[in-house]
Amino acid sequence: MSAVGLDPRVTGAERYSADVERPGMLHAAFVRSPHAHARVRRIDVGGVPDGCVALTGADVEPLGIYGCQLKDQRVLADVARFAGDIVAAVAAPTRVAAKAAAAAVEVEWEELPAVFDAVAAVAPGAPLLHEHAGSSAQDAVSIDVRPIDGSNVCHRFLIRHGDAERALRTADVVVEEVYRTPCAAHMPLEPHATVAEWDGDALTLWTGTQTPFNVRADLAGVFGLPEERIRIVAPPMGGSFGAKTFVRLEAVVAALARKAGAPVRATLDRTEEFLTLNRHPATIRVRIGARRDGTLVAKELDCWVDTGAYADCGPGVATKLGYAGVGPYRIPHVRVDSLAIYTNHPPNGAFRGYGAMQSVWASERTMDLLAGELGMSPLALRRKNLLRDGDRFATGETMHDVHFEECLRAAADAVGYEQDPRGKGLCVLLKGMQTPSRAQITVERTRVGYVVRSASCEMGQGIRRSLRLMGAELLGCEPGQIEVPDPDTDTSPFDTRTTSSRSTHMMGRALELAVADLRAGDGERGTGEIVNEGGLDPDTGQGVASSHWHQGAAAAHVTVDEHTGAVRVEHLHAAVYAGRVVNREGAELQNEGSMIMGLGTALLEGVLFADGQVTNANFSDYNIPAAADLPRRMTHDLIEHEGAEVHGLGETALPPVPAAIGNALHSLGLHVTELPITPESVLDAVDRR
Amino acid sequence: MNVELTLNGRAAVLEARTDEMLLGALRRAGLLSVRETCAIGMCGACTVLLDGEPVSGCLTLAAQVAGREVTTVEGLEGSPVQRAFAEAHGFQCGWCTPGFVLAAQRLLELNPAPSDEEIAEGLGGNLCRCGSYVKIAEAVRRCAS
Repeated sequence: MSAVGLDPRVTGAERYSADVERPGMLHAAFVRSPHAHARVRRIDVGGVPDGCVALTGADVEPLGIYGCQLKDQRVLADVARFAGDIVAAVAAPTRVAAKAAAAAVEVEWEELPAVFDAVAAVAPGAPLLHEHAGSSAQDAVSIDVRPIDGSNVCHRFLIRHGDAERALRTADVVVEEVYRTPCAAHMPLEPHATVAEWDGDALTLWTGTQTPFNVRADLAGVFGLPEERIRIVAPPMGGSFGAKTFVRLEAVVAALARKAGAPVRATLDRTEEFLTLNRHPATIRVRIGARRDGTLVAKELDCWVDTGAYADCGPGVATKLGYAGVGPYRIPHVRVDSLAIYTNHPPNGAFRGYGAMQSVWASERTMDLLAGELGMSPLALRRKNLLRDGDRFATGETMHDVHFEECLRAAADAVGYEQDPRGKGLCVLLKGMQTPSRAQITVERTRVGYVVRSASCEMGQGIRRSLRLMGAELLGCEPGQIEVPDPDTDTSPFDTRTTSSRSTHMMGRALELAVADLRAGDGERGTGEIVNEGGLDPDTGQGVASSHWHQGAAAAHVTVDEHTGAVRVEHLHAAVYAGRVVNREGAELQNEGSMIMGLGTALLEGVLFADGQVTNANFSDYNIPAAADLPRRMTHDLIEHEGAEVHGLGETALPPVPAAIGNALHSLGLHVTELPITPESVLDAVDRR
Repeated sequence: MNVELTLNGRAAVLEARTDEMLLGALRRAGLLSVRETCAIGMCGACTVLLDGEPVSGCLTLAAQVAGREVTTVEGLEGSPVQRAFAEAHGFQCGWCTPGFVLAAQRLLELNPAPSDEEIAEGLGGNLCRCGSYVKIAEAVRRCAS
């Protein structure tokens, strides 16, 4: 037998960032703050052995600050804003030596008061993390950010659509509830790994990232270099789920490599992963009012979104969380206030679902409360109010290509909801895609076929295979004749980033244009570009939230052991609108993977803190689903239509799972508002019933 | 120290410190399918077969394998289990796949026709964060006799 021709992921030949070796390469280790909030008074690197290089605050003084939406982060912190913030770094010939050298660095601290809850962080007198939250707003990239100076609010997103307060006074029935979702860890099996190498004033980074062009732009600001002097190569990732977005280790590793005069690689320990990027905890208050016949009249959402010590993409998450929480419904009066708030937690950022899970949990649990008050079926209440083609959403945009009814019906039918709703729950959601954005791709003829270059990054979602399959169909060749090299900012054309389930949808259409361009020209080379326009006014929430909507629903059937509080998911179903599937197995894997991650979100996962210190930063105390944790039955639909456009589906099946399970418990009289749904919380709900 | 062993069917010598785990020693020898992930034996991404039994490379001292037989996925050379994983699309990012392939190989040796529950239990020492479990189980069923 031979492994020739087998996928390198099966033979073990796939190479990730942690496998990159450069001649003379050193290894990095970091000196991290043990305090959640403390000023560095003095750093003593006298104990660092010869042959090792230490990078401290003085070295990074001339460097710029960075941040993808607000520039609020220094290459090394002078004030540590979370337990784990990096204040110094060392490079050594081996990882073991680097860790020993980092342990020899002594830091004198001045402890500062800290705040660990987003609601408390906006109360009067709360300790401030960044004194001038507003001063860097003009540097913001990618979204229009509204920090509130002199507070911990780094962004305030509002929707003002009608007059929700007045309309709620006229509603026949109003329900209100507060929900909480915890911090969660992405837990990609591959840790963050970055290699930096300088050649004069030109920098090359090999790094696991979904955002090579964003990293390049931010580092250009840090090092005061033209973007063209920085090259980002993005090998495939061993999972990311949002963890490997924007600048993570790249700035500090590049600064360390420059000081060391040698290439440097950093690979994080699992514990450090919990200090690098997590999912935003959120507290969400929902008020919704309806007429006696179930017609929704108004909705108010107040969202406190904990973005941790640095903004990262928290403003974007608070925005998406804010409008996803409106739900796929016709509601004439909507008010949303969604705040991205600094706390002394590790930074929170993009996480599969990008805020949608948090607000969909709150919003869709409330729909079942409302149905109960109205004496209506939760399915009938939803169907009565679902957005349909041509309706206007709370953002003012007109909805097209709408399939919520189909998704909801498919989910409800799969679990036999109408026959017997006991122990069953539903959830339907809308989720936006990065808008505005730009995707470029090139096709070049080679001796054996074609090479397709783009900055769409492979993280297991199967973009390389999707591009090969789409390319083969368009070019009339075999998928194996199409080479898809790793993204490289020197040779790949521009792409906004590999996020928000946009790559197949955006790059697929760009590829059609590139092939048409190749055919129209000399047959050797073609380029294609797709741009989607839009964006929301952060002060009114009006505009175009998404040029393309991700639409889905989930249904769960559960049984509960009321003596132990154990929840068993008998059947979980997700229905996702796919339009047209181009990579069948990949689409199924993404749907199943989203459902399983949603199951973990619902029942297992939460990062635990004590005074800002993570207390379960390992694979033993932080549980992710294993094969035996799967529902007894797990099924799903990829809803397709003849001639339809390709829809993104990499995340859609995650956000509805927790609410479907929560609503299934609600059908048994068990009301839970907080995730994850632990046996203890179920037992409490049994006691309250 | 030098550890003499049979590595992927051939006599080999691993250089390792006395306190070093097998995982690091194998990676230094170029066997990069063995991947550091959790470092506490929970995730199975550094699974190797030691005299045919799956063990975690992060919990096994390099010194413990002296005189024994170690197999990594590089030594399988396109086995039926590997082919079944490829045909069933039993992976996404691929980081965990070598560990799953080796665990599945041993599961099928012990139980050539495992039930779905036995597959889930037999692969319980391996985690896939991408959530490819449905198609991983399908790959194992394809090999079952």
